[in-house]
Amino acid sequence: MKRVRNLCPALLGALLLAAQVTVAAPFLPRDDAVVLEVLPGKPGDPAAAELRRLRTATAAAPTDAVAAARLAQRYFELALEQGDPRYVGYAEAVLRPWPEGAGTPAEMLVLHGKLRQYRHNFEKAMADFALALEAEPANLSARAWRAAILMVQADYAGARRECELLAPHTTALHAVACTAYVDATTGNARAAYARLRAAPTRDSDRAPEFQIWIQTRLAEMAWRMGDHAAAERHFEQAIALGVDDNFLLAAYADFLLEQGRAAEVVPLLKNWSRSDTLLLRLALAAQRLKLAEAEKYARALGERFADAALRGEKLHLQEEARYLLELKGDARAALAAASENYRSQREPRDALVLFEAALAARDPAAAAPALQWLDASGFESERLRDTAAKLKALKP
Amino acid sequence: MRGKYLALLAVLFACAAQAHKPSDSYLALRIDGAAVRGQWDIALRDLEFAIGLDADGNGEITWGELKAKRKEIEDYALSRLTFNSNGKTCTTANTDLLVDEHSDGAYAVLRFGADCGAPPPAAIELTYRLFFDLDPTHRGLLRIERGGTTQTGVLSPDRPRFSFGAEAASALSQFFDYLREGVWHIWIGFDHILFLLSLLLPAVLVFAHGAWKAAPRFRDAFWEVFRVVTSFTVAHSITLSLAALSVISLPSRLVESTIALSVMLAALNNLWPVVAERRWAVAFAFGLIHGFGFASVLADLGLPQGALLLALVGFNLGVEVGQLVIVAAFLPFAYALRGSWFYQRLVFTGGSAAIALVAAVWLAERALNVKLWP
Repeated sequence: MKRVRNLCPALLGALLLAAQVTVAAPFLPRDDAVVLEVLPGKPGDPAAAELRRLRTATAAAPTDAVAAARLAQRYFELALEQGDPRYVGYAEAVLRPWPEGAGTPAEMLVLHGKLRQYRHNFEKAMADFALALEAEPANLSARAWRAAILMVQADYAGARRECELLAPHTTALHAVACTAYVDATTGNARAAYARLRAAPTRDSDRAPEFQIWIQTRLAEMAWRMGDHAAAERHFEQAIALGVDDNFLLAAYADFLLEQGRAAEVVPLLKNWSRSDTLLLRLALAAQRLKLAEAEKYARALGERFADAALRGEKLHLQEEARYLLELKGDARAALAAASENYRSQREPRDALVLFEAALAARDPAAAAPALQWLDASGFESERLRDTAAKLKALKP
Repeated sequence: MRGKYLALLAVLFACAAQAHKPSDSYLALRIDGAAVRGQWDIALRDLEFAIGLDADGNGEITWGELKAKRKEIEDYALSRLTFNSNGKTCTTANTDLLVDEHSDGAYAVLRFGADCGAPPPAAIELTYRLFFDLDPTHRGLLRIERGGTTQTGVLSPDRPRFSFGAEAASALSQFFDYLREGVWHIWIGFDHILFLLSLLLPAVLVFAHGAWKAAPRFRDAFWEVFRVVTSFTVAHSITLSLAALSVISLPSRLVESTIALSVMLAALNNLWPVVAERRWAVAFAFGLIHGFGFASVLADLGLPQGALLLALVGFNLGVEVGQLVIVAAFLPFAYALRGSWFYQRLVFTGGSAAIALVAAVWLAERALNVKLWP
């Protein structure tokens, strides 16, 4: 029998408040009808039925390569759609009978590589794709993923080489898309944008997922060139395709936030608070609009980063840096996260986060690697160049 | 073909990775001698994938659906968490199913106990296998509390085992833990504080010719306080020890009611003095019953069998330290203001009346087992 009990709630309340804020308390729901969790996906969705069928088939015959590859691929797609890494784990479990290494079919190696890059294990993923290409030199996926990883690592010559090796085996739109992405990052945005828009679309290019990709890229290029109306059009076309896409939503939300249109971000993302990347954008929008939920979102985000640290994984440092900088106002910690992020990921938005953190912390030296990249790549973006200029002006 | 366009999505997604919190469970253990008490928070999303919770398939998991699967969940989870000591497997039993919200959704909370038998083993090793077969990226986030120290660990398919000492930490740190608990419990034990205050309020006054007047000398006030506090301490130390060592035990309702009565009488005595001279005797008499109250707190904390006496002394000393802090804060304030209207009317008379009223409510609540206080 604790002395606390029901004695003096008013006095005790003040005493215990601090403790209660930090300690979440398990509870007994009031009645059976209380909904505790809403599962992703819509009830009666044919994709969910297909997933169930594949799961049952794989459970019955775990070494059936055809069913396993399809299930793993489906899980991987779900991870991308929903931004939920659980599915990557499920896919890894399905692939257990086909370990990475020589002798494993190319299709399985490509799946392994995709899962590894998802977890930012870029070196091993590159090796998986290389092995797959040894087994099957015309494997498009392996080639395209290698190009993608080289882009993340800012190895543009390497990425361009992969695009050239890809071209003879695929459609014109795919080939153009690959090189246009490299060109748009290395000082030829205008030409790349025009070529990507003009590239012919074949039937095999019409899958909504690919079209989303094309439209998102076009939007980013237009945005970068300062043509905000065109960027808006491409984003809207991508959204209109009606496929859940974590990356598209993140890019569009960033665009809206930069345009001072936070009010449009909230309805766009309010059902996406599960995704860390989207929760960050939602929290930023709520903060700018001074909404009551702002603090709740920021706290939830902080808890997730704390959990990730507990797990010993630092896979979303870019978001963590933005959280620290824009929501917590801790420039030093943000700069540390942004610097660490830039060591493994060197895309333009990684550079931007590093610039902004370094600017806030008044430490231009910390941004030196990204400043070098900006000069060497010729990347066109007014915002990046402005921020870089301010950073250089800080120098004593 | 799907594979073809997805190949190119690579360019897009390579860095959108890890947008979401991965699958973690939170395993918190509290070690007391040979007994392990655990709280295990497992995401409903993960349980849905592993054993299926959404019975009606409407995409929502209700409390009713979760409860219906309780047995299955317990069997599934507890069979994937084993505790071993000296080559024997400890017996694990589930005690409770609750729900909690984490930053990424609802979790089932399993409370369980593991018993590794007596005598307490020198070390316990846990092996964690939850979900590793379905999701090798799943992790168990482990937190072990033992004798005031906290250890954390991450359980993964590569490192599913974790060893920890079963004995509580060093005797000294255990002693300080109980000391801290003692301080804390006098501070949040309002009935003890109010009893003490009721006896201390008149210490800076003297009762003569039917009225309270300011005490002329600090020395007198000090010694009065000293006598009251010392006799209260001696008395409750005696009964606390006897009760903690199971020599005497009294029904808690009787103890709690008498404590409330003691507070009420002590406060009323200030308003209509019956005992004005020998308040230390009152402090001693009622101190005996307060000791039983402290003992029930100590029983809730659990006494380590290996270090019974140490814990008892630590807790008792903690109570005294907590008490001294209150006295040290009270005495200079009361002495300085003792001659004022503020002290004599508001603090002394008003305060005593308020304490008597609160204590009367407690007395009614405890004696009749009803709840009058909101």
